[in-house]
Amino acid sequence: MTGSSLHGGPDPMARAAVVSVPARAAERPWLTHGARRLMFGYTLLAPAALYVLLLVGAPFLFSLYLAVSDANVGEPIAHFVGLENFKAALEMDVFWISLRNSVVFLVVAAVLKSLLGTSLAFLLLQDFKGKKLIRGLVVIPFTLPIAISVLSWKWMYDSQFSVINWVLSRMGLIGQFGTEGWPIWLGDPKLALVACILVNVWRTFPFSAIVLLAGFTSVPVEVIDAAKVDGCSFFQRFRHVVVPMIFPILMIGFLFDTVFTLSDLSVVYLLTQGGPANATKILPVLAYQIGIQAGSLGRGAAIALFLVPLLIPALILVLRNLKRREY
Amino acid sequence: MARAMAPPMTQRRKSIRRHLLIYAAITPYVVIAVFPIYWMAITAFKQDPDLYRMEHFPFWFNLAPTLRNFKILFYQTHYGDWIWNTFTISAWVALITLVTAVPAGYALARLKLPGAENTGIAIFLTYLVPPIILFLPLSRIVAELGLQDSWWALVVVYPTFTIPFCTWLLMGFFKTVPMEIEEAARVDGCGQAGAFLRVILPISLPGVLTSVIFAFTLSMQDFLYGLAFVSPGDQKPVPVGVPTELIRGDIYYWGSLMGAALLVGLPVAILYNFFLDRFIQGITGGIGK
Repeated sequence: MTGSSLHGGPDPMARAAVVSVPARAAERPWLTHGARRLMFGYTLLAPAALYVLLLVGAPFLFSLYLAVSDANVGEPIAHFVGLENFKAALEMDVFWISLRNSVVFLVVAAVLKSLLGTSLAFLLLQDFKGKKLIRGLVVIPFTLPIAISVLSWKWMYDSQFSVINWVLSRMGLIGQFGTEGWPIWLGDPKLALVACILVNVWRTFPFSAIVLLAGFTSVPVEVIDAAKVDGCSFFQRFRHVVVPMIFPILMIGFLFDTVFTLSDLSVVYLLTQGGPANATKILPVLAYQIGIQAGSLGRGAAIALFLVPLLIPALILVLRNLKRREY
Repeated sequence: MARAMAPPMTQRRKSIRRHLLIYAAITPYVVIAVFPIYWMAITAFKQDPDLYRMEHFPFWFNLAPTLRNFKILFYQTHYGDWIWNTFTISAWVALITLVTAVPAGYALARLKLPGAENTGIAIFLTYLVPPIILFLPLSRIVAELGLQDSWWALVVVYPTFTIPFCTWLLMGFFKTVPMEIEEAARVDGCGQAGAFLRVILPISLPGVLTSVIFAFTLSMQDFLYGLAFVSPGDQKPVPVGVPTELIRGDIYYWGSLMGAALLVGLPVAILYNFFLDRFIQGITGGIGK
């Protein structure tokens, strides 16, 4: 369609091409305008495409290679070991613990942040004074660099000077410091994962709310009004008009969050490093500890790759929804 | 007279009641969202004895506020270096991102390349390949380039997520610039490159600036790459240096830690705040415009 569209036709680009053929075409008559446009286009595209191919595409393939090799930090030469690393991972107890923790983390956090996010989105949908300011305040957890906000939580979870415990204790909900009833958030295997999940929920519920809000505001008022005229109740309108219309945007928000929550190491790494007794060990932390700290690149890569089957459905759904944006 | 006043009064009263209800409902969210930042701020200005007394009311100063924690940061740690590193890394990342993503976004949006839409989506999807899968192979690549243990490693690595995101963002941006403007430039004798440089780029300046902001804020969100690739104390960016260098064993200097977190975190959060809607538009493909 590129070369032949030069001679007019319904394509608007082709008309533009006819207009702009003048002077320059004469310099290199052997190149048609369409071909020059393609060359120009690919030249502009090349740097970005190459960067991404070399530093995302190639490393991804390289990680597949590492995962089937015995690559180590100390030794430059690696040997092919087949699926040995994957097998070894499956035989580690801590791998199964990490996988379980990752899934629990993802699901519990998703439920909590959708509840908080949805209710917040409905509130922000209302018209009231000072909405801009309040919205700006509420989204701060998401905009603050993650490694920095986790530090504040680490201090709030302090074993002795925890401000959360101070409040709970004054309210009479927990015991005094030094007694059984004083929760040690990051030191108690039963509480540590909860503590980590809460930080993730705190950080991402504003994201859920804003994505939902973007969805709500994209539904034209006329459509809602039409449904009202047709006698739909609030819940009918919501169920049959709003939800289907914002479904693609919801999916994308949900899947982005899945990818980032599953692959994030910073919250757990900074709060507990996976402890106590592996109670908060998740796959990214395990991959980091084995790959970098223990220097076993092959095994670390294999563990990280176990995230891929969890991520692929997310990627496919994002892809389908992005393609739909044209219409 | 009184009767004539009545309707607007009840109207106002209704509106006040509605507002009060909304504020009451939204206050818990605001408190939850903001409290950790407030806690950072108050801790940063407290004297040590004020921090470690359980019988004190913790939400306000019991002893006079102090700047000592900040002095420790700047005189006894690499904090100044980290701030400098963060800015230079971000500047380089922004530059690399612009030089690659602006032309690519333009080419994909405007030049009717075969398969442009799919190429755009493919580039964007690489934004979703998480660092946890890439960091081990990248550590080898960084070592091959001789960049391990220097912040230059991060200059090379951060564009792997800023280029995909900004290319996608700019692609959407260039699509909104009317075609007629470009055609007019061509009629006036500009070549393809001339039209891009002299006409399209200047009107797209807001989009380009937005990309610079994202190159900066997205870089600040990284922790894993910095942790894995840069170990010397004076080479780290702030989000990596503060948690890894200021915590030594079991000793926490909470005052300085919170000061360090606040001083850089808050400006970044505020800056990002202004561009959050663009970020959401970017990842949701512009549906919610």
